[in-house]
Amino acid sequence: MNYLWHIVNMAGIYAILAMSLNLAAGYTGLLSLCHAAFYGLGAYTATLVMVDVGFDFLPALACALIVTALLSLMIALPSLRLRGDYFVLATLGFQIIVFSVLYNWVGLTRGPYGISGIPVPKFFGLEVDSVAKYALFTAVVGGLGLGVLWLLAHSPFGRLLRAVRDDELAAAALGKNVTHVKTIAFVLSACFAAIPGALFAGYMRYIDPTSFTLTESIFIISMVVIGGAGNFAGPAIGAVLLVLLPEALRFLHVPDSVAANLRQVVYGILLILLMRFRPQGLIGEYDFE
Amino acid sequence: MPDVTIECRDLSKAFDGVHAVEDVSVEFEAGKITALIGPNGAGKTTLFHLMGGSLAPDSGEVLLRGRRISGLPSWETARLGVGRLFQDVRVFGRLTVLENVLVGFRNQAGESFWKAVVARLAVARQDRDLAAIAQHWIDFVGLRGFEETPARALSYGQQKLLALARLLAQGADVLLLDEPTAGVNPAMVKPLLALLRDLAKDGKTIILIEHNMSVVIDIADWVYFMDEGQIVAFGLPHEVLGDKWVREAYLGL
Repeated sequence: MNYLWHIVNMAGIYAILAMSLNLAAGYTGLLSLCHAAFYGLGAYTATLVMVDVGFDFLPALACALIVTALLSLMIALPSLRLRGDYFVLATLGFQIIVFSVLYNWVGLTRGPYGISGIPVPKFFGLEVDSVAKYALFTAVVGGLGLGVLWLLAHSPFGRLLRAVRDDELAAAALGKNVTHVKTIAFVLSACFAAIPGALFAGYMRYIDPTSFTLTESIFIISMVVIGGAGNFAGPAIGAVLLVLLPEALRFLHVPDSVAANLRQVVYGILLILLMRFRPQGLIGEYDFE
Repeated sequence: MPDVTIECRDLSKAFDGVHAVEDVSVEFEAGKITALIGPNGAGKTTLFHLMGGSLAPDSGEVLLRGRRISGLPSWETARLGVGRLFQDVRVFGRLTVLENVLVGFRNQAGESFWKAVVARLAVARQDRDLAAIAQHWIDFVGLRGFEETPARALSYGQQKLLALARLLAQGADVLLLDEPTAGVNPAMVKPLLALLRDLAKDGKTIILIEHNMSVVIDIADWVYFMDEGQIVAFGLPHEVLGDKWVREAYLGL
């Protein structure tokens, strides 16, 4: 039973992460290769604030949001004026830098040793100390975040993001400050990625840099692409699918040693098939032309 | 006193040595429809890009009511009152017809991410009001019934009408229209021209790039003929279209 709750937790965390990327990539057309970096910045900031400073979970989450917002702004300001492909490369650069810092600044992050002993999150005095309780906790915190994301996506702001994605020149000709819009979309997307980072830290009670690599960024992109970009629920479906996939392989009695690699092969095949036959994903609106 | 709203002074722009626009000085007045005609490659669309802010000139300036706007980014020029209809239409393909027109409106509180969350009731109310006005423009250009259709599913001519409806929502007072009647079904051209005349009567400054001479003769108050980056002839429509050079080089007569 605990195992099922574990899957629910991971699916929930990844669903929020995928939907955060969707705001930048699916709605605004900004393909980010550094969302694992924002996920990691959220996890590490929340962790360091809880472990070294002694804050509770919610204030730690607030700090994670602020730090991630500031750092994402730092990458956005110089990069968003770059043409599409170059912007993607800039995010790749940022992902590599963040991982490098997490791995090598041992004094701050404990480097490859990771940080253990993350306190059990307290939610208004109640300790979230079981896997089942954490699922509820993720649902509440995640639900609130997704509620805000939903309001944004279904507002004139969301409509403006999609217009900028479809034709920047036309949007500018209508008086919209396109660079400003893209910057806000990117920073918001980064903040929404920091939330599952903090949730992950509070759940695993141990974090290390290997959870926040470029491979992880690509995994998040896969969820968005498979589930469907530019559609609100699509990435969540993609997240659930990709979290359940290894479990399905286990069910088919594939030995663990093979399963790990087979999983990568299956992702690759799925992506190729989708790009060929259904580029907008399962229920998506945008097909990354 | 002519009411000059937008003018270009000695405007020049070259690409890799090709003088797309060379020392162009033109004036456009409020309440008038001016046509810009000339062969393909004459520099007409480039001139529109320079006036609209998509391109910065190499030399010379564009003045909007005496204020220098050349070199400003296009979103600022648009906010100062310049509207554009592009030759390659440029609708927001994945948005519906209604959403396309709604994006056109200025000063939408809901376009701020903060207000979209915190003031959502007021934003929803404003959006409903704007949707009613948008519907009016959609009906006007003849796209009634297509409100929920994704723009990319429309034909070229329908997309052009959509872009016009969006431009009307923007409420700009200087309109740069690049071939507004091209691809539009003939039955729609007459109401479109009538609309342009009404907009001019309202005091708007209308500038058209046109290849359709009957349209030019029908509604233009003034014509500039452009060839190889320069203004070669100007005047009343019948004067320019009667000019020998124009007739030989352009009209093929």
